[in-house]
Formats: sequence, structure tokens, C-alpha cells
Amino acid sequence: MPRVDNLDVAAKAVLAVGVAGAIYLIAVPLAMLLLAAFRGPADLLPFEPGARWTFEHIRALFADPIIVTRILPDTFVFVAGTVALAFALGFGLAWLIERTDLPGREVWFSLVLLPLLVPTPVLAIAWIFLMGPNAGWLNLVLRAAFDLQGEGPINVFTMGGLILCQALASTPFVFLLLGATLRAMDPALEEASGASGASPWTTFRRVTLPVLLPGVLAPLVLVTLITAEQFELPLIIGLPAKINVFSYRIYFELNPLSSLPNYGAAAALSLPFVVLGMLLLILYNRLIARAESFATMTGRGYRQRRLALGAWRLPALVLLTLYVALAAALPAAVLLWTSLFGYTLPLSATAADFSLEAYRQLFANRAFWLGLRNTFLVAIASALIVTVLGMLLGWIISRSQIRLRHALDFVSVLSVGIPAVIAGLGVMLFYLSLPIGVYGTVAILIIAYSYRFATTTRLARAGFLQIHKELEEASAASGARWLATMRRVLVPLMLPALAAGFILLFIVGVREFTIPLVLYSPDNVVLSVLLWQLFQSGQPAASAALASIIIAVVLPVVFLARRTLVRRSLVD
Amino acid sequence: MLTVNNLAKSFAAPDGVVVRAVDGVSFAVAPAQCYALLGPSGCGKTTILRCVAGLEQPERGSITIGRRVVSDEDVFVPVHERSIGMVFQSYAIWPHVDVFDNVAYPLAVARPRLARSEIEKRVMDVLALVGMASMARRPAPHLSGGQQQRVALARAIVRRPGLLLLDEPLSNLDATLRDSMRRELAALIRQIGITALFVTHDQVEALSLADRVAVMEQGRIVQEGTPPDIYDRPANLFVARFLGAANVLSGVVAERDCQGRVRIALAGGQHHLTLVAEHRPGTNVDVVLRPENLTIGTAAPDHRNAIPGRISARAFQGNSIEYEVDVGGNSSLRVLAPARGGLDRGAPVWIGIDPRRVAIFGRP
Repeated sequence: MPRVDNLDVAAKAVLAVGVAGAIYLIAVPLAMLLLAAFRGPADLLPFEPGARWTFEHIRALFADPIIVTRILPDTFVFVAGTVALAFALGFGLAWLIERTDLPGREVWFSLVLLPLLVPTPVLAIAWIFLMGPNAGWLNLVLRAAFDLQGEGPINVFTMGGLILCQALASTPFVFLLLGATLRAMDPALEEASGASGASPWTTFRRVTLPVLLPGVLAPLVLVTLITAEQFELPLIIGLPAKINVFSYRIYFELNPLSSLPNYGAAAALSLPFVVLGMLLLILYNRLIARAESFATMTGRGYRQRRLALGAWRLPALVLLTLYVALAAALPAAVLLWTSLFGYTLPLSATAADFSLEAYRQLFANRAFWLGLRNTFLVAIASALIVTVLGMLLGWIISRSQIRLRHALDFVSVLSVGIPAVIAGLGVMLFYLSLPIGVYGTVAILIIAYSYRFATTTRLARAGFLQIHKELEEASAASGARWLATMRRVLVPLMLPALAAGFILLFIVGVREFTIPLVLYSPDNVVLSVLLWQLFQSGQPAASAALASIIIAVVLPVVFLARRTLVRRSLVD
Repeated sequence: MLTVNNLAKSFAAPDGVVVRAVDGVSFAVAPAQCYALLGPSGCGKTTILRCVAGLEQPERGSITIGRRVVSDEDVFVPVHERSIGMVFQSYAIWPHVDVFDNVAYPLAVARPRLARSEIEKRVMDVLALVGMASMARRPAPHLSGGQQQRVALARAIVRRPGLLLLDEPLSNLDATLRDSMRRELAALIRQIGITALFVTHDQVEALSLADRVAVMEQGRIVQEGTPPDIYDRPANLFVARFLGAANVLSGVVAERDCQGRVRIALAGGQHHLTLVAEHRPGTNVDVVLRPENLTIGTAAPDHRNAIPGRISARAFQGNSIEYEVDVGGNSSLRVLAPARGGLDRGAPVWIGIDPRRVAIFGRP
């Protein structure tokens, strides 16, 4: 293996830039956050003149009764409920598609992933249109069908409604993770147990379950972590329902209704969150290491034995249809309809209701074109930065013998444990304190988005592990320097993995809502934030039109790249 | 051309134990010589090759390629600045480019830049040399094992390095292909007159390809010499066994006369051999007999070094028959005999031993 001291100057410089970039993008905002929690008074920036060291925020955190009476219970119920529901749904769908003879598995596979691809506010608004207590489509239909009076029967603005929506939104993620686990299970392991004389039940208990367990527990931990980080639905659906979870509370401290932003309180509130996130991440890494050690013990090239569904085929199809209807088809339909016909039910609408006015207004809005440009600019630029960084970190972690590489590995994974709202806050505090004119521009969004290099680092690492080390050594033995080897051999070989990472990060960038909201200025507005603003200001048709446009823009990109994307995201 | 002096390198195993992969190894390869490092897996031979290439950094010792010290306490020339060509065990043909671009690579990355026409000419010359000129534009993933080996070799020699390194160059091929590629490789190395160092665990490969062979065990060279030297006069039991199927009989030196002849009582006590050795009476010894050096027949030979036995198994191998002969005392001998006039299983036979073709090693 190459040692650092054997690399030439150019190689060292490039790698150093990568390491510095990684630290700058993640560790610096985090350090700022940590310091801000101990600097006061609250309405001053941590290093503004007049600020001093203090424990007042920490003390206030423990003294605030809201934390114990409202935020902790709400957060706990929200997370537990969402994880339970999303896990049940995700496992069911993954099992049906990976281990049974369900018809149309390829198509279902793509359909289930759809909610993962659009910004969550798009879904949130659609679900409000569908399940709003007064005029939600589903409520109108149910009331007409069962001759009910008054509001409801479904009310999205409750804890139950919030959990249902969040679970629908998180299910594709669970589905991807568990699908990989189920697919990695070599049926020969179970067959060997049967051939040893074990009954099917004994086989399940003593082989199937223990082998699958780490691969199921690891996603469970990750989904718990990611649910606790959710901000979009708690803001858009939870706030009207008076549900107060951690992530929203941090945002509230920055944007209180009647006073100045309380930076110190927001930072202090973030700390337990970050600590919890790191603990869950460490647990996740242990579990995933165990799951991977299991996976490497089984050979490749086996055929998955599929269970014949028989009479259960119909219920299985109903479940899938129901999920896709609630999570993708109906939201898309209600948004498109509302953008064209306003807020009337399809059956009661007339041709006179049809109008392109919402689109006309939108296209006349300068903020729309600015938001469109910003959305793509920020998503592409941050995806590029993160892909390059991920590749450099992936090389260092998998190929070099630098002692730092384990620390780098942890730093890159860290981004998973940092909620977007906290990442946004850290970046905000840093650049508010650093007068280089970045705050309020598109550049700050690019910087803030780019903290998420865990995925690309993992993809790049997996890619490097698949490239035989001798392919790299053969280049060096041919007289090529490190950079030439990188450019002529490694990058071309890694291109599929790098492209997959880029597309993934691009989608994450287009979906992003929390960071641009926290760092919002009129100049750096992005489409997801504009969507929320339109919706907040009581323009359902205009917001529906914008949501439809976002869906129309994102879907083709995703379908073009689906093959590589899906395959790669499963490798991870 | 290549001098390796007192080279040492150790690795920490995953369980924390430090393994001395290479433990004070010295050897020299003369210009245009083909030198083999032969040994079982884990003996350190590949580590030596990688240290010579510059892919590993030695802890101790020095390496000189040509007149240039490439590695000692103060100097470590990185791999891309050494005048080497290397054939990897996996061949390491880059799958994203075709045959031509694989072979052209060392010239394309060379500084100062070479003219495109010059690169083209040299690549086509070397492809012709390895018989791959007609496949220059074939994508790398479409190559067979033998073709990959030729491309790897072409790539290793295209920039005319001072030293060619080969890491188990034939182990990735199937048995029939391995024989023909071995002959081709031997011819090619002679033809271009390059200095070559290669590692292998296959004694046939080492003996047939190399001008000199170093046999390695546990990080050290245990014997070095020309192939016939090593085969006929192994330095110890390990070398004798490693270089080919060997029968080992244990015994005790019973007497020694003034002419250096010893009488060895074989284990079991029934048979004796009279051989030439320097061991004193009372020494426990191992007598190594190669199957092809033994004779087998139904009548007792007229000299005294013969052992009676019974054929317990026979394996017809086309050009020869291998017999397994039970000689009593829980030992059996393998004997390689011409295929004509086969003997049957269970037949009583006499095995004749030529005292000049026996190796004897004392046991502590």
C-alpha cells in the first residue's frame, strides 16, 4: 500500500485539499455551533463584540419546562410511531418485491421509490390537499360515501396524521435498505440448514433470523436517526397541529414570532441532538460492520429462491397499490388538478373552472426563475464538490495507510448524524461571524449543502474496493505518477460509481428544503422554499402549479439515471 | 543488474502478531539473467518482488537496480521512477481501454512526451513480438487468459525497462495453456535479452524458466543455484521435498567405513542401504529418493541397494506409470517407470536404488 511519504508533491497537495475541504465543510460549522452554545448574551453572535463565555443557555435548556412536557414526548411519539409504521411498510414491500413471485416487480420497485425523489414540501402540501379536515379530497369522498356530517373523518393535522405522512415519506428509504439485506441473503445458508435435518421453523429461528438480524437492525437505527432529524413535515403539518419536535424547536429559536433570533439557545438545544446522533451512528456502524462481515462470507452468483404467493397475490397487490396511491399517484394527481382547476373536486368541476392562470402567475414571478436557477446551480455545484471530496476521502480511507484515515472515515459518516437544521445553523453562525460576503448568497447554500459526503465517500470506498489494487499498481509500475494514475485509470474505472453518487447528491440537493430555509435571503431562494412561501401566503393554485413543475422537472432526470442509480444505491 | 542486500520487512498480522515476511535476504541478478524466487505461499517471495518494484518499502537493507540505489536507509525511489516493467499475478489489464491503449500507457505517461508516431510504432512492434498485433483494438474485457498474459508482458517491456518483474506470471492460466505459455515466455525473455526477476510457487516453472533459482522458506533464502544444482543437490529436506515429489525414508547410520560409505538401517529394521555420506554412526537420517530415480522389477537387482515390496497402487499416466509400493514398516515408495510392460497391483517387486542419486539429511 502506498504510504503518504512515498507520494509526490502534487498527490499530497490534492489529498490535503480533500482533507482540508472535508474538515472545513463539516467540522468548522460544528465547532462554531459548539462554541455558540457557550457564548452569550443570546441575541448576539458568538464572537460579536460584547459576547462572553456563559452557561446560561445550557441552564435555560434544563430549566425550560416545555422541553420536558412537550418537546421530548412529542419527539418520542413522532419518531417511534414513524419508525414503526415506516419499518412495517418498508419491510413488507421489500419482502414482497425481493423474495416473492409478485408480478411486475421491476415496475413496483420504481414506483415505490418515487416519494424519495421529490422535495418533501411537495408531498406535504399534496397530503394537506388530500387529508385536510375540511376540504381534503379523501374526506370529501368519505363523507359523500358514508353520508357523514361535519369535518373529517381524516385529519392530517394530528399526531396520527403527521406520523402517517412521515412514514409514507420515509418508507422508500427503509425499502431500499431492507431490500439490500434481503437480497444479500444466500438461500444456500437456509438450504444447508434444511439438509442438516432442521425443520423450516428451526431453520428460520437458528439461521435466517440471526443472519438477517444485523442487516435489519442497522437500517432500524439509521431510520430512527433520520426520522429524528426530519424537519419539513413537522414544520408544514406539525406546526398547525401544535406538535413541537426538537428540529422544529431549533428553527423556532432562530425565528421566534416576536423577538430577535436566539442563537445561543438554538445552539444549546442542538447539542443533545448531535450527541444522540453520534451515539446512534456509532451503533449503526457496529451493526453494519457485522452485517457486512456476514455478507462477505457468502459467495456471489446465487439465484434468489422466491416464495410463491398463491392466493396472497391479490392482498399483496392491494397493499402495493394503496401505498403507491397514497404516497405518489394521488399526491401528483391532486397537485396537477389543483394547479389547473383550483380547489374543486374532479367530479364537481366544470370546463369553466379550467385555468392556466396559476402557471401564468408563476412564470411572471421573478422569484420562480431565480429559484429554478438557484435550485439547479446549488444542487449541481454541491453534488460536484461532494463527489470529488468523496472520491479523495474514499481513496485515502481504502488505499492509503495514513493514520488519520479512521478519523476521516468518522468525519465523513458524521454528516448522517447532523440534522439539516443544525448544519444550516452552524453554517449560518460561521458566516455571519466571518465577514467575507458569503452570507445571503447562493454560495453559502453550496457550502452548506456540501457537508453530506457520507454517501459519496461510501460509494467511492466500495468502488475502490472493487478495483483490484494491481490495476493501480500496474500504472505506477508503468511510470505514471499518482495524479496520472488517478486521471487515466481510477477515475475512468470509478465513473459509474461516481456518476451514481453525483446523481444521488443532485437529487438530495433538489429536495433540500431545511438548509435553504434556515439560510434564506431573497437572493438565494430555491424552489422548495418558494413553494412553502406560496403555500403559506394562501395561494393553493400557485403552489400546486409550482409543485407540479418540480415533479415534472425531477422525474425525467431520475428515470434517465434510474438504472445506475438504483444499482449503486443498493451496493451501498 | 539487480542487487538486493540484507533486505527485511515485517507486517503486523490482524491479530497484532508481527510476521517477518522477509528476514535478511541477499541475492544478485546478472544482466540478461532470469532469476526465480521459488517458495510456498507466505514465504516472502512476493514481498521481495514488491520491494524491488517500489510497491512496498523495506525496513532494512538496500536494493540497487542497474547503477542506481533505489532503496536503502536514506533513499526510497517511488515506483514510477524506477526502471522496471512488471507483470502482475492478475495481469491487471485495465478494462476501460483496449489492448493498444493498455500497452501504450507506459509510453503515454512518460516525460518528456514521446511523439504519437513513435508510440504507435513501439506499441505495434511489441504487440507483434507477443503475437497480439492483430488484436490491437480489441477491448480488454474480451481477452482470454493467455491473451491477457501477452498484453501484460507487452505493457511491461514496451518502455524497455532495465528489469522485468513477474509475479506468479502463469498461475492464472489453466494447466495446458500454462505449459505452452511457459515455453513462449522463456523464448521471449531470451530473445529480448532482458534481466528478469520472477516469483513462483511452481517448481517446474522455476526450473524451466530460470537461469538461477533461490528457494525460500519463512522469509529466508535456503538455497540458491542453477536449476540442476538445486534439483540434484538439495540443501535440506525442505528443498528436496519442495522441488518435486520425493520419497523420504528414515533410518539410522549403523556403520561407516574409511571410504565414506555408510550402512543405514531403515526404520522397521529389516532393510539396509549402503550409500555415501558423512554422517557418523548413530545419527538419525532421512533418505530422499526421487520416484524417477528408482527402478522397479520382479527380480532382485544384482547390487545390494534393493528393497522388496508389493505394489499397492498404480496410476497410468500415458507416458509413464506411477507405482506405489508397500515396503513394510508402514512406509511406501512411489516409483515412476516407463509405461511399457506394466506390473499388476499386488505383485511382489524389487526396488533398486542408485546410490549416486540419493540425498541424505541428518536429523537432530
